[in-house]
Amino acid sequence: MEIIAVSPDRNEQSQKLADGLRLGYRFVADPDLAVARRYGLVHAHGGPDGEDVPRPATLVLDRDGVVRWFSISRNFQVRPDPKDVLRAVRAL
Amino acid sequence: MLDVMTSGKLAALSIAILIGAIAAYVLLIRVPLVRNHPEAYVLAFALATALAVLAVLRSRRRRWAAWLVLALTGAVLVAGAFFNFVVARVPDTPTPLRVGERPPDFTLPDASGRAVSLADFRGRKPVVLVFYRGYW
Repeated sequence: MEIIAVSPDRNEQSQKLADGLRLGYRFVADPDLAVARRYGLVHAHGGPDGEDVPRPATLVLDRDGVVRWFSISRNFQVRPDPKDVLRAVRAL
Repeated sequence: MLDVMTSGKLAALSIAILIGAIAAYVLLIRVPLVRNHPEAYVLAFALATALAVLAVLRSRRRRWAAWLVLALTGAVLVAGAFFNFVVARVPDTPTPLRVGERPPDFTLPDASGRAVSLADFRGRKPVVLVFYRGYW
C-alpha cells in the first residue's frame, strides 16, 4: 500500500514536517491547489490569512485505482478515524 | 448537589470545568474520539457558563468575583462556539469523487523532485490519498 499526502506546502516544508513526525510516507507538492481543485477539495478563503486551502480528505483506492472509500471533513478539526481508513484498506 | 453549593464553590467548579475542557482537548487531540467531537468542548464551556450564572445568582459577598467568572466563561463559550461552528466549518462543495470510479489522474513532484503519478500505482498496489490543509 502506498500512502500519498497531497500538500499545499512547498516540498521543503513537508519534508520538515515528515522528518519531525518521523513519517514514512510520501509527500507531493500541490502549492497552487491544482489537483485539490480538480478533486473538488478546495475550501475557499479557509486558510489563516484568508487564502484558499484544501478540504481535509482521505481516499482509499484499490489496486485498479478505483475509489473504494473516501471521507471529506465538514469541520477542519475533524479527521477520519484511522481505524475506519484501515478497515477500508483491509476490505480491498 | 448544586442546590446546596455556595457561590464560591460553584464559581470554582465552573473554572475547573473550563480549564479541564481546554486541557483535555489539547492533551488528547490525537485521540480520534476527542478530536472528532469538538462540539464537546463547546458543551463543556456552556456548562461552565451555566454554573457561573448560578454562582452570580447565589452570591452575597464578593459578587464581583462571580461576575468575573461569568464574564470569563461566557467569553470562552462565545469564542469556542464561533470557532467550532463558523470558522472551522468547511463548506460542502461539489466533488467529482465517487465510490466505484477512478479519480482524476495527476502528476506532482515529491520531496526528492521525482514526478509521482497516480497512474504509477495502477495494477500494482492500493493507494491511500490524503489531502490536508498544510502545516503552519
